[in-house]
Amino acid sequence: MALLALQNIVKQYEKYRASDDVSFKIPKGKIFGLLGPNGAGKTTLIRMITRILYPDSGHIFFNGEALSDKHTEYIGYMPEERGLYKKMRVGEHLIYLGRLKGMTHQQARESVDFWIKKFEIENWYNKNIEELSKGMSQKVQFIATVLHNPELLILDEPFSGLDPLNSKLIEEEIHRMSGEGKTIIFSTHRMEQVEEICDEIVLINKGKKILEGSVKELKHRFKENKFRVCFNGEIKNGLLDNVNVLEQRPGEVVVKFNVEHHGNELLKLFIDNNIEVTLFSEELPSINEIFIRQVQAN
Amino acid sequence: MNKIFIIVQREYITRVRKKSFLITTLLTPLGFFLLMASSAMIGNYSQGKADVAIVDDSGLFKDVVFPDAEDQSVYFHKVGDKFEHLSGKLSDKEHSAYQAVIHIPANFNINNPTNPMMSGVYMVRPGVAKRQYINERMSDAVSKLRMKMLHIDEETQENMQKKVEVNFTSLSNDKENKQYAEAAGVVGIIMGIAIYISLFFYGTMIMKGVMEEKTNRIVEVLTSSVKPFQLLMGKIIGVGAVGLTQCILWVLLMALIFMVGLPLIGISAGSQASHMPQMKGADIDPDSFAAVIANISQLPLFEMAILFPVYFLGGFLLYGSLFAAVGAAMGEDGDQQSLMVPITIPIIISFGIALNVINNPDSPLGFWGSLIPFTSPVVMSSMLPFRPAWWQIMLSIALLIGGFIFTTYIAARIYRVGILMYGKKIRLKELGMWIFAKA
Repeated sequence: MALLALQNIVKQYEKYRASDDVSFKIPKGKIFGLLGPNGAGKTTLIRMITRILYPDSGHIFFNGEALSDKHTEYIGYMPEERGLYKKMRVGEHLIYLGRLKGMTHQQARESVDFWIKKFEIENWYNKNIEELSKGMSQKVQFIATVLHNPELLILDEPFSGLDPLNSKLIEEEIHRMSGEGKTIIFSTHRMEQVEEICDEIVLINKGKKILEGSVKELKHRFKENKFRVCFNGEIKNGLLDNVNVLEQRPGEVVVKFNVEHHGNELLKLFIDNNIEVTLFSEELPSINEIFIRQVQAN
Repeated sequence: MNKIFIIVQREYITRVRKKSFLITTLLTPLGFFLLMASSAMIGNYSQGKADVAIVDDSGLFKDVVFPDAEDQSVYFHKVGDKFEHLSGKLSDKEHSAYQAVIHIPANFNINNPTNPMMSGVYMVRPGVAKRQYINERMSDAVSKLRMKMLHIDEETQENMQKKVEVNFTSLSNDKENKQYAEAAGVVGIIMGIAIYISLFFYGTMIMKGVMEEKTNRIVEVLTSSVKPFQLLMGKIIGVGAVGLTQCILWVLLMALIFMVGLPLIGISAGSQASHMPQMKGADIDPDSFAAVIANISQLPLFEMAILFPVYFLGGFLLYGSLFAAVGAAMGEDGDQQSLMVPITIPIIISFGIALNVINNPDSPLGFWGSLIPFTSPVVMSSMLPFRPAWWQIMLSIALLIGGFIFTTYIAARIYRVGILMYGKKIRLKELGMWIFAKA
């Protein structure tokens, strides 16, 4: 079942349309990548999901119900441009944000204690926010997002400004929460992270949805019949005359077949010529390649 | 509602806890205390005591008594010594019994006191107030002598010197007289100034708070949890509570200073007045100043105590939301001060009207100023001691409530668009468009 469903969402600003009839569903418990170039309309969509803005037309459903203010307590949002009150202490700041999400003071306090212990930052509790480094603030912001145990987590560029160690920590948390059945919307420009983390993606460009599907399915959908073959020995002249060779190095070749050909035909060619194949693999496009190709085509 | 309360709590606690709050709250009355104490001390020090010798070679003044100054700054001594002898002694400051000598020449003409003139010499320069006192007493003496020569007795003399003043009383308020009007004017303008300053001071505080949230981008997280309107109201009420706390503390501390601090170092409001040279002149005499102070108790204090906070709060809500809207519209560097002009102009105008009101409380300008919500907080506060009609007060409050609902509605619409608008210089025209923009 979809935790979140967007139906024909339209949002018009003064001179441009930030969301143009966008529809997609986000299944429960999945990590969902919301992708698109700068200015594509991702933030507007997120702001509508978090009820900061309202669509001009279309509907958003949360767990089957029309999205309303009561649902904001089930959503945790970490925007790309994030900030904290500099003059507040870490502990009281987190409790304040927790209470705004509907927690009691006691609940918020317990949750803060749990998270700061988990992230081994207990000694930060009474520190002023202005004393924290950027990376430290990021951790506090992540805690603020997950403090109220939301059903839906929206993370906009969550790894920007984090060192590899902290990135790993946050990534592990994302996977752990996904494992617990939480749904996560993950917006980023870093495509290698999308492949690593996301189950499904939607690609937005100029306010329109141009692509949607699971990472695996999309990679297969956009495959180009490319194969990589590693071998021992030498290829005789004329053996690969009928195929499109993209790369060739001693002991390795990348070829592109016409769609009507099957990978086995290439493998058979090598076997029939008594060339020992050590590796045979299909070259699937990266999400980055699909992204660039689709955006340019659009 | 609960979320507004949480926001109010944060706004209040974080501000009250700041060192700057503590410093402003304590230092303002302390500064006032030091100003009062130091001016009194400087006054005392500068006054000193002057013994003035009068050498009357004319013999005209032998029966005249020159009264010493009540504040013990001037003592007159009629002496029989020669003027030259006494003035010679003056240069020996240590041993001279006098600080100045006045000489009334033998040919002094009571009917033409300017030719020849009385003359005086000093080594220690008498201040303006002392000179003024000496001149006044000499003139009094000459006048009295002239009257005597014309066979006019003292009682008639006093009666002749009395000034005519029409004793106006109000038909609607039998307690109202000249001193009452003066007392009402003084208290009225103090209340008007208090609201005028508060609107700017706390309004700017709200504006800066909004700008801070916008600049550090926390507003995006906040508005994903609460509605912009809740955030706006929480901030306005929170800062309002800070303002109220500060004002109450100021009143208490000032009262403590007046009742305990100043008497402890031997200063009272009356003595303050007597140290001011102009108070001794014709402008305000200490007696009438005391009468003004005494008449404060005749003012409608109970009504004022209830209505002043109403106008304080009403004005604060009306302008606070507008300051918040401007804060939301301002660029991150806060360089668009021009957006503040539409807010500051009505506040300044209302203060101008208030100044007029204390002289003409029943003028049409005051009447309309007390009804229009943008000017009524300052104008009506200044008018309250003059006992405006109840229907006028009720209408004014009703319009003020309507006014702040209207401005809060407008401000909230500008606010919710402005806080999420980055990297763009906003013009006034755009603010107008935001009011009608969809969220």
